[in-house]
Amino acid sequence: MSAEPLVVGKRLPRVDAIDKVTGAARYTGDYHTRGMLHAAMLRSPHAHARIRSIDTSRAERLPGVKLILTCFNVPRVLHAGQPEPRAGSLVRDQYILDSTVRFHGDGVAAVAAISPEAAEEALSLISVEYEPLPVVFDAYDAMADGAPSIHGTERNLVIPPVVIAWGDVDKGLAEADHVFERTYTTSRHVPAFMEPYICTVVPDATGRLTVYSSTQAPFMVRGTLSEVLGIPMSKIRVITEHMGGAFGAKQDLYQQEYLAALMALRTGQPVRFEFSRAETFISGRSRHPVTVELKQGVTKDGILTARQARYVANSGAYGSHGPGITWVGAAALGSLHRCENVHIEGLCVYTNAPIAGAFRGYGAPQAYFALETQMDEIAEALGIDPIELRKRNAMRPGDIGPAGTPFTNNQLPVCLDRGAARIGWETRKGRSGDLRGAEDLQGCVISDDGENLGGLARTVRGIGVACELHSATAYPETREIANAAVALNEDGTVQLRIGSADLGTGAKTVLAQICAETLGVCYEDISVLAGDTDLVPYDLGAYASRTTYIAGGAVDQAAREARDKLLKLAAAKLEVPVDDLSVQQGFIRIAGRPDAIVPIAHIVGPEQGAPAETITGQARNQPLNAYSFAAQFAEVEIDTETGQVRVLKMVAVHDIGKAINPAAAEGQVEGGLHQGIGYALMEDMVIDPRTGRTLNPNFVDYKLLTSLDMPEMEVEFVESGLGDGPYGAKGVAEDSLCPTAPAITNAIYNATGVRVTQLPVNPEHLLAAMRASANTKTRRRQVSSTDV
Amino acid sequence: MTQMIRMTVNGQPVELTVEPYRTLLDVLRDELDLTGAKKGCDRGDCGACTVLLDGKPVTSCMMLAVQADGHRITTIEGLGAGGRLHPVQQAFVDHGAVQCGFCTPGMVLAAVALLEENPQPTEAEVRDAIAGNLCRCTGYAKIVDAVMSVSQAAEVNS
Repeated sequence: MSAEPLVVGKRLPRVDAIDKVTGAARYTGDYHTRGMLHAAMLRSPHAHARIRSIDTSRAERLPGVKLILTCFNVPRVLHAGQPEPRAGSLVRDQYILDSTVRFHGDGVAAVAAISPEAAEEALSLISVEYEPLPVVFDAYDAMADGAPSIHGTERNLVIPPVVIAWGDVDKGLAEADHVFERTYTTSRHVPAFMEPYICTVVPDATGRLTVYSSTQAPFMVRGTLSEVLGIPMSKIRVITEHMGGAFGAKQDLYQQEYLAALMALRTGQPVRFEFSRAETFISGRSRHPVTVELKQGVTKDGILTARQARYVANSGAYGSHGPGITWVGAAALGSLHRCENVHIEGLCVYTNAPIAGAFRGYGAPQAYFALETQMDEIAEALGIDPIELRKRNAMRPGDIGPAGTPFTNNQLPVCLDRGAARIGWETRKGRSGDLRGAEDLQGCVISDDGENLGGLARTVRGIGVACELHSATAYPETREIANAAVALNEDGTVQLRIGSADLGTGAKTVLAQICAETLGVCYEDISVLAGDTDLVPYDLGAYASRTTYIAGGAVDQAAREARDKLLKLAAAKLEVPVDDLSVQQGFIRIAGRPDAIVPIAHIVGPEQGAPAETITGQARNQPLNAYSFAAQFAEVEIDTETGQVRVLKMVAVHDIGKAINPAAAEGQVEGGLHQGIGYALMEDMVIDPRTGRTLNPNFVDYKLLTSLDMPEMEVEFVESGLGDGPYGAKGVAEDSLCPTAPAITNAIYNATGVRVTQLPVNPEHLLAAMRASANTKTRRRQVSSTDV
Repeated sequence: MTQMIRMTVNGQPVELTVEPYRTLLDVLRDELDLTGAKKGCDRGDCGACTVLLDGKPVTSCMMLAVQADGHRITTIEGLGAGGRLHPVQQAFVDHGAVQCGFCTPGMVLAAVALLEENPQPTEAEVRDAIAGNLCRCTGYAKIVDAVMSVSQAAEVNS
């Protein structure tokens, strides 16, 4: 086998790119079947209410209406929206439809009709008698005495407080030369994938269901439908051939699929349940808004002596992935920079806001916003370079990481150095927040005595840095597993069956590359089958940045098994010692005889009178965890007249072990940066503070960056090859946006001297703060010059 | 109360009877099985439903099907010929500009329309042309690279 990989590490075109650019790729909404019914949901106009009665009689009489489901005629089974083993990171707190509604837009009744128009009209004919209940939308208010109880839990907590602690924090704080303490808050960030939530359930004559679903985890969908509806898994098939993005928010189910399945079973007809974009916002999953109270002690040299924090996550009306996220967020707060005395408390709180759930980063972006902002504050206060401060507190091999497993290597210092070179760190102003400029003078800085002190620059620029680390699996919350099966066809081409889903991440492509490399065939000779629970082996799903690391490991092992069987067979047929054989690009090679190359088909193919040989490989991979690191740098420009922030350049340096397909890995980071910049500057799903109604469930009022808004991006990978995944790979998907927001807000500080502690950045606040800061700084300069 | 419409879709004459309230997007997808155009928001904000109307990009979810009567529609399925990809499609494949693919048909058509009118656009012009097509996966980086590569190839060939 050659030392240099032939397929892994190459920027190969994706296996499904042609299907997608031609429009041939079928997404869930592209399937039609005869007699298909359309479902629509009646949604609560109250954020918290008991349902006294539902009168569907008028709606039922509407021609074309086939069935109406309410809490009174669906099974009452308490569930978590996902089956085990993932149910452990959620809570069992939902019913298919409940007699209490808990957020504005919560589903109350579902109609199946012969057309979407008939279903919509039927909704207007349903009468619901509500008894409104008191509401609460803020997590701290929800924990206070006398708050309305949403699920009957103590202090409205979703789970008991998470505590991550070691050492003695009080001792560490007492030993510190300086203590920093501040509170940071983050927004309701929405995944905003382009394909709205949708499923189509097709029953056959025996009641076996085929569920076309836009999901990250087909086996999880099968499992939860089976559990909640009491149907054997052998009678449920879930198919996700292509799906239009998920970013974590299409794992756990809420209402939609259960209702569609019940409708299909009860009518005997296929049912499509498609959410509008507004419903996708309102009834989807958003990132937990989190308040982090963070206190750290440092020596005068910037060495951390203690870290104490409270992470308060607003879960919204149901728990979804709140428990897992609170754990990950708290663990992230205790991690990244070495500290011997740590105490982190994580609280996950029910409120009557829309449901918060899993979204790329899974609680870590909020934690790193707080932590990396405060590290920047420490650097500024102590006069230490921010990069140097990170290095002084770097994790060492052997230190225990947030998943409870030790770090084997830490490439973060390398990421920091490479990123610093790319952004031009040495050009960064030594003293942050000097707002006076030599050029483009506009406006002026006025002292308290009314003296004109000179010009205010029209725009100011700054550079900031932030780091992160993220694990590549959901261990220890879930013992991980992935399965893969490889089969050689008689002509030497290959069928690769994988349990993972491809959300658009390029998983099928990356796994095919690993298979080709290990097995010794050409990438083009592999046919990948994924996303059909009838046809592929069990897998937990695509989340936690696990696919390359875990499923890739399974593919590597399966391909290895197939290759070994192939070589043994070839040795027998060619009468050559097996150790002299290797396979590369579809040909068996014999050591010492470079001209003797044998196509695989000659070994496995049928001959006269003899059938083909069956060569297969099967593997089940159960690794622990791997940590990826990243450093991101932002250069921003702020308009001092409007407070508007423009990101000019992002540099992202990611330690991912090995980029199996560099183009795909870059694509992940570039997309993550898009989401991270939006998180910093403009994305927030806003709810009315009185009624809880979502005010901006559309792409005009919830602002995504367009092609015109994106900055220049430079992405670099540090490929140490030291990850224990296939070919040294680790994860990358979630890391890509974990440090982005603090990199940007640290750059804003460098430019303006204003410290942003709340996301998203608010231009009016920034403007006011800049003006106040400008006056203050100028006054101080006046005072010091007279002292001399 | 239906209405008859006659239009040309991907070079073929099409005659259909539709309710006047149906959008062009729904008719293309449900009546003609041209599911390449996607329903991302159904209110003209995201561009996933983009098709070409007489060569110009439109959000088909914001057009009534009856408005297409007498016009020429090009959907993603109408690009390329005889199994060969249009240069923009090929560039998307080569540059890794496709991730989940949901925005891709609309994005490709917007780029095709730009290049028909302006065969050698600047990067700023490319970004402007696709500003009405939202993408959540790619950060637009490789999409812009792909379109620019077609632009530069045109320059080399001219």
